[in-house]
Amino acid sequence: MTTKKIEVVIPPREPHFVGDGFRVHNFIPSAYRLDMQRMSPFIMLDYNSKFYFPPTDTPRGVGVHPHRGFETVTIAYKGKVAHHDSSGGGGIIGEGDVQWMTAASGVLHKEYHEENFSKQGGDFQMVQLWVNLPAKDKMSKPKYQAIENKNINRFILENKGGEIEVIAGEHKGINGAASTFTPVNMLNAKLNKGAKTDFSFPENHNSALLVIEGSIRVNEVEQVPTDHFVLFENDGESFTIEALENTVFLVLSGEPIQEPIAAQGPFVMNTKAEIIQAINDFNMGKFGFLED
Amino acid sequence: MESNFNTYLKEKAGVSADQFDRMKSKLLTKTIEKGQLILKSDQVCKHTFFVEKGLLRFYSIDEIGKEHLVQFAPENWFVSDRGSIYFNEPSAFFIDAIEETQVVMLDRNFIEFASEISPEFRNHNAFLLQNHIRMLQNRINLLIGASAEQRYLAFIKLYPDLMLRVPQWMIASYLGITPESLSRVRKELAKKNFTKQ
Repeated sequence: MTTKKIEVVIPPREPHFVGDGFRVHNFIPSAYRLDMQRMSPFIMLDYNSKFYFPPTDTPRGVGVHPHRGFETVTIAYKGKVAHHDSSGGGGIIGEGDVQWMTAASGVLHKEYHEENFSKQGGDFQMVQLWVNLPAKDKMSKPKYQAIENKNINRFILENKGGEIEVIAGEHKGINGAASTFTPVNMLNAKLNKGAKTDFSFPENHNSALLVIEGSIRVNEVEQVPTDHFVLFENDGESFTIEALENTVFLVLSGEPIQEPIAAQGPFVMNTKAEIIQAINDFNMGKFGFLED
Repeated sequence: MESNFNTYLKEKAGVSADQFDRMKSKLLTKTIEKGQLILKSDQVCKHTFFVEKGLLRFYSIDEIGKEHLVQFAPENWFVSDRGSIYFNEPSAFFIDAIEETQVVMLDRNFIEFASEISPEFRNHNAFLLQNHIRMLQNRINLLIGASAEQRYLAFIKLYPDLMLRVPQWMIASYLGITPESLSRVRKELAKKNFTKQ
């Protein structure tokens, strides 16, 4: 099997706030070489690196806003988020849980720090991804997959090297918890210091990883510190990772969706006309209603 | 890349590339930070602002400190206190940026200069004044006679993407209704138009 080489290692950008509850570094689509087409089907990645929020009685977060044309995936590393949407979905996710919302034809939702977490304050660390949908599924019915950490299958490394949680797709024969519309692999790797492992994805997949905790060495040459993003080239199939300390990193790989992208704010469609339609539908209440 | 202002003058006013080239050197552009004021009440307004990118608002503040939003100016809109400019009198209004905004600033000298270079510019400037009066008349009519829903429907027609860019309370202020009424209007519309799949 040929080696998938690193194309570029990207440091985190200056953080900005989404609402008042998410202090994020955006990687996709604003970082150099990480536009929506380059990392398709992953069209947005906001990373809330570990950040301490002091206690408050008014939960911080993002108020009601719409989405259409893609899925939002939230992976909680530290802290708790409560979520509600206009199709009646909702819930709370905490450390290790994943919330996979298929916005598709359209939902309104809001995301806030969970009440008790807000009252106590604490470290908060999350990844939010937007996964694009192919044209034929963009107007399908919204749905919601609440994936608790205990229901995520794991690949266990030998010699207490750690484990790889398979959120979606497949890894060494272990199947992912989430169902996806196009081929996507989403793996949460937790390796102990000194552990070595490898990952293998089809050549044409867009592949990347984000170091959440600790530091790693990729392909035996490139050392990558915390909060850095690694984009891989599209030739070669496998890469190796060595944990230089106890580490957590998120691995993404997906088959690119070869369709035009028209994006504006919270809508990602194929044409400008579909964006205008989405804005109009939102204004006219066709996404439903959700109390602020 | 061609500026929005250039494209606007070419497409809407019929200003030629040559005419624009001659005006260009007198154009003033500026970046306004989010929240930054570019007009305060009691100042004389000196400029008309054309929004290249971003979003401005034009508003007053009453004696109890409440804001009343008269106009939004997103991309390709003009905003100014026309009365203050023309009559050289203190403004009763404020203009600030809701988002970081790039503006082209047009003062009286520029408008005279551009009107001499380009009859098309002069005509368009007159058109803008007539259009402004038309918009204000429509707006007065809605504010004194229309239901909250009618005002909202006129708002989304005029400013399709602002519901996504502006907090609800500001839109309620523009519509002359409470945020609760705006929420009620949107809830009623959703009841009518939302079909759960």
